[in-house]
Amino acid sequence: MKDFKYAWIVGLTFTLLLVIVPLLTVVADEPEPPEDPWAFVPQRVPDVDHTNLIQGPFESGSDVTIACLECHEAAGQEMLQNVHWKWEGDPVLLEGRDEPVTIGKKNQINNFCIGIQGNWTGCTRCHAGYGWEDADFDFSNEENVDCLVCHEQTGTYVKSNAGRPDSEVDLVAVAQSVGTPTRANCGGCHFNGGGGNAVKHGDLDSSLYYPTEQIDVHMGRHDFQCVDCHKTEDHDIRGRSISVSVDDENQVRCTDCHTATLHADERINAHVDAVACQTCHIPEGAVRDATKMHWDWSTVGNDWPEDPHEYLKIKGSFVYEQNFMPEYAWYNGSADRYILGDTIDPTQSTVLNMPQGDVSDPDARIWPFKIHRANQIYDTVYNHFLQPKTVGEGGLWTEFDWDLAARLGAEAAGIAYSGDYGFAPSEMYWPLSHMVVPGEYALQCADCHGENGRLDWNALGYYGDPLRWGGRTPSVSEMGAE
Amino acid sequence: MPAMKTHPFKPLIVLIGAALLVVFLLFAGRRVAAQEEAPPEPAGSPMHPTFPLLDEEGVNVLQSGGPVSTMRTCGDCHDTAFIEEHSFHADVGLGDFAGEGAVPDGRPWDLSPGLFGKWNPLTYRYLSPDGDERIDLTTAGWLQTLGARHVGGGPAVYSRDGRPLADLDPTPGDPETSIVDPQTGELASWDWEASGVVEMNCFLCHTPDPDNEARVDALQAGEFRWANTATLLNTGVVTRTATTWQWNESSFTSGGELATNSLSIQDPTNENCGQCHGLVHVEAQTPLVMDACTPEQWETITTGQIVSPQRIAASGLNLTDKAGLARSWDVHAERVLNCTDCHVALNNPVYYRDLDGDQPEHLTFDPRRIDLGEYLYRPLHQFAKGQSAQGTLAPELDDTIRRCESCHSVEATHDWLPYKERHTTVLSCESCHVPKMVAPARQMMDWTVLRADGSPQTACRGLESGGEQFGTALISGYEPVLLPREDGDGQTSLAPHNLITSWYWVYGRPERPVPLRDLQAAWLDEEGNYPPQILSTFDADGDGRLADAELVIDSQEKEALIASRLQALGLEDLRITGEVQPYRISHNVTHGEWATKECRTCHGEQSRMTQPMLLADHVPGDVMPALIGDSATSLSGELHQTGTGALYYRPQTESDENGTALYLLGHNSVALIDWLGALLFLATFAGVIAHGGGRYIAARRRASQEPDLREVYMYSAYERLWHWLQTIVIFGLLFTGLIIHKPDTFGIFNFRYTVEVHNVLSAILLVNAALAAFYHLASGEIKQFLPQPHGFFDQAFTQARYYLRGIFRGDPHPFQKSRRQKLNPLQQITYFGLLNVLLPLQIITGTLMWGTQRWPELAQALGGLPFLAPVHTLLAWLFASFIVMHVYLTTTGHTATANIRAMVMGWDEVELHKEAA
Repeated sequence: MKDFKYAWIVGLTFTLLLVIVPLLTVVADEPEPPEDPWAFVPQRVPDVDHTNLIQGPFESGSDVTIACLECHEAAGQEMLQNVHWKWEGDPVLLEGRDEPVTIGKKNQINNFCIGIQGNWTGCTRCHAGYGWEDADFDFSNEENVDCLVCHEQTGTYVKSNAGRPDSEVDLVAVAQSVGTPTRANCGGCHFNGGGGNAVKHGDLDSSLYYPTEQIDVHMGRHDFQCVDCHKTEDHDIRGRSISVSVDDENQVRCTDCHTATLHADERINAHVDAVACQTCHIPEGAVRDATKMHWDWSTVGNDWPEDPHEYLKIKGSFVYEQNFMPEYAWYNGSADRYILGDTIDPTQSTVLNMPQGDVSDPDARIWPFKIHRANQIYDTVYNHFLQPKTVGEGGLWTEFDWDLAARLGAEAAGIAYSGDYGFAPSEMYWPLSHMVVPGEYALQCADCHGENGRLDWNALGYYGDPLRWGGRTPSVSEMGAE
Repeated sequence: MPAMKTHPFKPLIVLIGAALLVVFLLFAGRRVAAQEEAPPEPAGSPMHPTFPLLDEEGVNVLQSGGPVSTMRTCGDCHDTAFIEEHSFHADVGLGDFAGEGAVPDGRPWDLSPGLFGKWNPLTYRYLSPDGDERIDLTTAGWLQTLGARHVGGGPAVYSRDGRPLADLDPTPGDPETSIVDPQTGELASWDWEASGVVEMNCFLCHTPDPDNEARVDALQAGEFRWANTATLLNTGVVTRTATTWQWNESSFTSGGELATNSLSIQDPTNENCGQCHGLVHVEAQTPLVMDACTPEQWETITTGQIVSPQRIAASGLNLTDKAGLARSWDVHAERVLNCTDCHVALNNPVYYRDLDGDQPEHLTFDPRRIDLGEYLYRPLHQFAKGQSAQGTLAPELDDTIRRCESCHSVEATHDWLPYKERHTTVLSCESCHVPKMVAPARQMMDWTVLRADGSPQTACRGLESGGEQFGTALISGYEPVLLPREDGDGQTSLAPHNLITSWYWVYGRPERPVPLRDLQAAWLDEEGNYPPQILSTFDADGDGRLADAELVIDSQEKEALIASRLQALGLEDLRITGEVQPYRISHNVTHGEWATKECRTCHGEQSRMTQPMLLADHVPGDVMPALIGDSATSLSGELHQTGTGALYYRPQTESDENGTALYLLGHNSVALIDWLGALLFLATFAGVIAHGGGRYIAARRRASQEPDLREVYMYSAYERLWHWLQTIVIFGLLFTGLIIHKPDTFGIFNFRYTVEVHNVLSAILLVNAALAAFYHLASGEIKQFLPQPHGFFDQAFTQARYYLRGIFRGDPHPFQKSRRQKLNPLQQITYFGLLNVLLPLQIITGTLMWGTQRWPELAQALGGLPFLAPVHTLLAWLFASFIVMHVYLTTTGHTATANIRAMVMGWDEVELHKEAA
């Protein structure tokens, strides 16, 4: 050792280890942060500048699409499979039916503007295609796909009847601006569903163009784009809603990025088996812009004072609400669906898309919903909902003749119409998933539990407030079992 | 319950739920019958059967039209006499009515420990004892003015000697059978027969929406008999016409019972309790508001406590930094606890509590207790309570409440906190978990003066403007003061309090507070204006009005004026007196996330624990208020008046009274020791510099001599290891110790980590020292450290002379260093002292400081932290000085680094002495 010049290094290292190892072992460390959700957020790629790639001039929207397809060869075929194009899902076998049915805007009704059949030119302004104006639209022609509505970035692109670009639109400038879809692209249609801003969803409206973090933590605090969560590959867009897509496929989930058990308090983590993240983190809907909660079609045609939030001669009477408290129901990701022609009981409110699941369904969670209630036209003889023609020649909005509208609509939709009509109540469930607030504004225990809680425990299938009666664990179920 | 009927219990569950079933069966018959007739009303109470309302005679009120008697109505099934008899809420001090001067910890004129008889400067009015010449409140007057916060029963039914009030014969001058005429101040006879008495009001606490306002109106009007009926006013069961009360037959069934949906009976909710005790806000959706700092509710006005699950940021108050206050007002309300979950009825079997240590050793559980049926018949209305700062309210019930640690495990959640046992011994949980009161609270009441509306000067703390008008004032909240408070188990810990200071006039022998009507007569004329004499004396700016700033007795002249005006009314011996009263804060607890966790909040120069609290902007009449402590909370601090006249309370943590002496690391230090230590350190440093400089100069003048050298294996590997390990550890300890001692100077270091590092390093030092001691003993090397008695002084002198002279001349070292004899005599004596005195002492004091939480008694016996910590500090200074010297002396080898090199490599180049060679 005497000659080993660097013996002191060995000694020093050993001595230091004797100090450092106990220090590191004993001195308590801060708890490790939970898994970083950013790891699951897609990296944004800068857009390719198309200014020099696209020359024009373009006569029509389809000319632009042809230009796009020159380079993006697969995009056309990809889009032909997309529901934004088809407006119809794959066939699903609903409980209690013999045959699978396809469900979509294309062939079913809702309780807003009811249905598109016969009303194509008006409704297909939001179709990702050009020229859908009757039942004969060619769904196999990729040149009719509208690339611009999702990809243009000038903000000047406007679609008019049958989804064709408005004549004022500068197609060259618009085409040269293309990039990754932003909130403005998606919002153009989705924030205006139901015929105007904030009408339909209750959690999607124009306040999300420039949201604060109190409106939506993802878009407000972290400047998310829609496609950050609705991840899209090969034009296959993640996400669905039970108004038109009733099976539990292709969902966007909070747990795609967040650990379900990330709360510091075990008692909150214990909730995630029975309560959706949304339930606590979306304490109220329509945070900034009021949304439509009720629509009574039966008052159409009166010369009453008009107010877009209360009464319109062509549409009837409405109730709008801002900051509404959601209604809560069990939901396992799938829903039942009213199919055109199904018989209804006009004395009862018919749910068009009943969320599936109950307290005994381990896959179901308590979810927050906006429930849109309406009074809509039905056939008093056949007892099924009718789908009136509203837009265009002979339509309700010009003639104010329900009988004519019902007859023309029934023809277009291929359902029977007896000539006698009335109005029956209906409900649609809109699960809330946007306008998520950060933990410091989420619901707290007393919002649901205790004397003043917002949940009706008995209606949800509990014996009583689970805080006192216990959750839906085996022991409690056993307690009540025969 | 219906679910249970269709799904009968399994046997096991039946066993467990036997008690529940008993009750279920008790009511099942009635309930099933009711269900067959009509579907159950959801508004009705789920369990309580329907019942008729009976009057005093037991006749259905529908027949008699008289006021409802709760004692008769509820007494049909419950033992109401037992309930009233065993309820401090009803008794409020009547049972302990001691007469003046006999109340423990009371003022000379207090008559009982409760609301009935204990005077309070916040309410001011005084229940006069029999025989007083000047009567302020008679019993009837007390019910009218202070009865709003009394549930009835007790003094509202019985006289001070226990007879029914209605049986008393009117006696002139007797405060129990008379009333003070507000106009003349004369006593008039009070007819208890006509007014009736206030029975204990079951509805006030057991119905969801009692009409407290109507009840208080009836009390103030002297319609005592109708007060409980008035509580039902907003249920529609009874209506009030201009002159009388009318029972509403549609609220009753044909059988004369109350219909299920007209009144439901329930366990008391937070709102029920809040009617008298504090601001309660249960709805999460509507923002909480309060109008001023004078809400009726007691706990809110005295401390700012508000019970609500709402996030503070969602409230409607104008608060500083409001957006950041995402926490709730009260974490327990947020987590859906009710007042009655902690303040339980003491014989409620649901909350049965084994008395620790009271059962035989072989029993871990005793199933014998009253069953629910018995409990419902005779529910004890004594509710578990902690210790209020006043300590005199129902003292027999003190500490019956579940404490924080009855439900919460400190052990499981406070691992991050160094010295958690020590912290939890010294501090109550609330000290950190009530870091700040968000709402304002009363600070001062000055009854020596009156405003034009007849109210006293008041001030609130926690308001930016300091006043009490809210409108636009920003609410800043306040930090409670931490006062030592003794718990039921005899332990004293610090707990947060508000301090309310009051000044008022007293008169006479024996002393009495000046009655409000006399005070008003002295201050205001009959139109409610200030008389010219007062205006001219007080109106400093001459504007004809008295602003709040002018309304203060700050001179002899003003004091004499008011005293003379009071004297003119027939009052003698007038003087101003004042008192500081602590009000304890136990609610508005926050989750750990929001609790005080920053060590330097207390462990720093501006320690939270010694922070003074403002009592008042001025001291009326220059009268220092008395610190009203009591059996539980001690006001051991001191009053301190600033140059501007503002009065502060400064908590005293260093006093040894009640064994509460604290030495706050990082806050406390003994200046003398720090000065001495620093001086010693600097002197050593200076000496070393001077000596080294001398050597340097001497060496330059002298031709260098190469001594004869021989390589000797001086230090074994282990010796080097323990030496360098000790070096690192001691440097680390000195450095971390310095940070702990003066954390404000080393702000970038995390105090908590530093403390933990210091502890771990100490442990390493201890182990290293122990192993080294063993090595030296076992190997006999210890002898090297032991000075040889023979010739020691001579040799030491020789060595000293070498350091003082020889070393400058380049003389050889007087003693040759060898494997067997490494240390020279001076080193020997130094190390002997170091290793036998300094190091052990430092280890012992350090261990004891660490041991304050392991063996608190031992540490306390040896002086506690206030002694140990300064000694530890002094020894640290000595260590630091030694190191300077030690390091310097290593440079005295044949080259400056030779010795260090030897301690690193083990091989030393030793000078050969001729005589040794």
